[in-house]
Amino acid sequence: MPRFYHDDPAWSDVTPIPQLESGQVLAGISYTAEYSEAMSYLRAVMAANEYSTRVLDLTEHIISLNPAHYTVWLYRAQTLSALNRNLREEIKWLNPTALKHLKNYQIWHHRQTIIDRLGSCDGEQEFVEQMLEKDAKNYHVWSYRQWVVRRFGLFGDEGERKWCEGMMERDVRNNSVWNHRFFVVFGGLKGEVEEGLLKRELEYAQDAVRKAPQNECPWNYIRGVLRQAKKPMSTVKEFAKEFADLEKPDEVRSTHALDLLADIYEEEKKNDEAKTALDLLANKYDPIRAKYWEYRARSLDSAAVEA
Amino acid sequence: MAPDAEESGILKISKHVSYWRRNLKTYLPHHYTGTDSNRMLLAFFILSALDLLGDLDAALTDEERHEYVEWVYNCQIPDGGFRPSPGTYVGTARNQQNAVWDPAHIPGTFFSLLVLVLLGDDLKRVKRKETLIWLNRMQRPDGSFGETIGQAGRVEGGNDTRFGYMATGIRWILRGDIEGHVDDVPDIDVDKFVQCVRDSETYDGGISEAPFHEAHAGFACCAVSALALLDRLPVQTSQQKDQRLRGITDLPSTLHWLVSRQTLTLEEGEEDEGEQNGDANPSKGAQSQQDLSMVGMNGRCNKIADTCYAYWVCAPLDVLGHLHLVDTQRIRLWLLDMTQHFIGGFGKLPGDPPDIYHSYLGLFTLAMFGEPRLKEADAALCISKAAKERIESLPWRKAIVEQKI
Repeated sequence: MPRFYHDDPAWSDVTPIPQLESGQVLAGISYTAEYSEAMSYLRAVMAANEYSTRVLDLTEHIISLNPAHYTVWLYRAQTLSALNRNLREEIKWLNPTALKHLKNYQIWHHRQTIIDRLGSCDGEQEFVEQMLEKDAKNYHVWSYRQWVVRRFGLFGDEGERKWCEGMMERDVRNNSVWNHRFFVVFGGLKGEVEEGLLKRELEYAQDAVRKAPQNECPWNYIRGVLRQAKKPMSTVKEFAKEFADLEKPDEVRSTHALDLLADIYEEEKKNDEAKTALDLLANKYDPIRAKYWEYRARSLDSAAVEA
Repeated sequence: MAPDAEESGILKISKHVSYWRRNLKTYLPHHYTGTDSNRMLLAFFILSALDLLGDLDAALTDEERHEYVEWVYNCQIPDGGFRPSPGTYVGTARNQQNAVWDPAHIPGTFFSLLVLVLLGDDLKRVKRKETLIWLNRMQRPDGSFGETIGQAGRVEGGNDTRFGYMATGIRWILRGDIEGHVDDVPDIDVDKFVQCVRDSETYDGGISEAPFHEAHAGFACCAVSALALLDRLPVQTSQQKDQRLRGITDLPSTLHWLVSRQTLTLEEGEEDEGEQNGDANPSKGAQSQQDLSMVGMNGRCNKIADTCYAYWVCAPLDVLGHLHLVDTQRIRLWLLDMTQHFIGGFGKLPGDPPDIYHSYLGLFTLAMFGEPRLKEADAALCISKAAKERIESLPWRKAIVEQKI
């Protein structure tokens, strides 16, 4: 049922301000009568800086019609603060609202403001999980989870990493989970990467590669971990060769292994081998990126000339 | 989904013209209400699409052009900057106390300036000095830019490169790429912003929203374009090195990440095929000759192809001078045969109805690839080269930029 204000006694003291535009307008929208009227009342209360319970209802109404309206969210946050409202109640309302508008960004900015004021992340991890069940790669939700980890100092928490592993079991190809693991492991790290940590992270990613060798995520992770630890790519040469051995060019099991090997051979100044790997990628295993692999092969030549 | 052979690979120009003219001349359906607070963005897409199609002059009478210009200037805030739609304007009721609810807005300002240029305006009525002062206030101590200024001067909105890109765009339009004071207004802190972009480079070579967030083509594109507008991209071999801080610290990795966004996963439901069951032989995949004729682009690792990512991935490649690393013919064919809609415009995924956002970015990508019947495109500003040249030729701007020499 659409909701209107003009015949509502609770709003009779307010003179709505219509949208002020005339003549030829750009990107005009045929608003519903309901949205159009609600916005006119919002303009009127904003012009008067009114902060009240009915204003909270009005913002809730407009958010249900247009959750991407950033001003409405800011006005709501200010109203909550002016009325000294119970912020736990706000979170209770936000949860179903977020679940209804999965792609919305403003909700997360608002949530961050509220949780920051509350100073406690009780229940947040569970709620994030609920959101991820609906869309496991939702960018805003993962960004928010990172904010929670930073704000509440959860870096040292084994629980966060274990939770990541659970998410990974659901989908080893979900890059958001890989990124979150990298953040949890290295985001709070001060100083050098210790050998034990390096070993643990490489083994974790290598196990994942064995499950699905053509999955790009763990290969990127391996490169990232090695860079973070300032180790050469050749650290994982034998591992890469399990999936792509130039002596067995018909049995390549992963283009990413071949790609990594090309880098390793280049690192070792074995340009012929690097070229063989790049040729296999361009002509046989990854022809959609042929132009790129050919460019890489040409770059080897020019680097050799410069040397 | 794919059309018959004789219709394959054809940009249906007249359909696109009528699609965009309809968006210009009639009210948009109410399901655009979600973009109500960003109408200036829609206005930009509509006018710029008609410009790319070479139809803008024919589509507008002088009177319409004049009225549209007035409409945009009515969105200018007295203290500088523009609101992105008339939705927050309260007319004569506006005062010092309630002005915070009708703030100047970074995307609103960037797209207002571009819309004015597309309409042939010379930007002389833009409150240039006030806007540049406001732009400084929009930068946070960490170097990032927000969306608006809220209560108690707080910079609201995310701190990702989208707002940073548009802020550098406003700066580029209003004062070129010269650094330091212009007309007594100090510059933004360019080094701090560049540092911000460097910090959001990711472990896999991509660029994300903020340090340690997941690499995403949208943020990568905004970051690279912003650096271009600031003249802070890595030095080319032909250029002289200088001491200035530059972004994209590991160009080979970033190029690797960008070309990895090409995918054969073009339709929903294909995503988890094979791999999850341990089927990992890459040569057993879908790479037969026929399937290879079309290549889509995704925005993140292991995601499905989507029209808009053709722009978000190819634009930074173009700006970095490496568009030749992807096969634009195959991407073109994917856009034309899979996401181009028979009524004109482009949908997000094959079979989707067209929407303004995907229709513009699909069309722009083709222009960037040199589509014969479209105007040449400037990837960093996301407008035609002709429109960019019009900005560069504005006399007041030339006077500022020539101070540099």
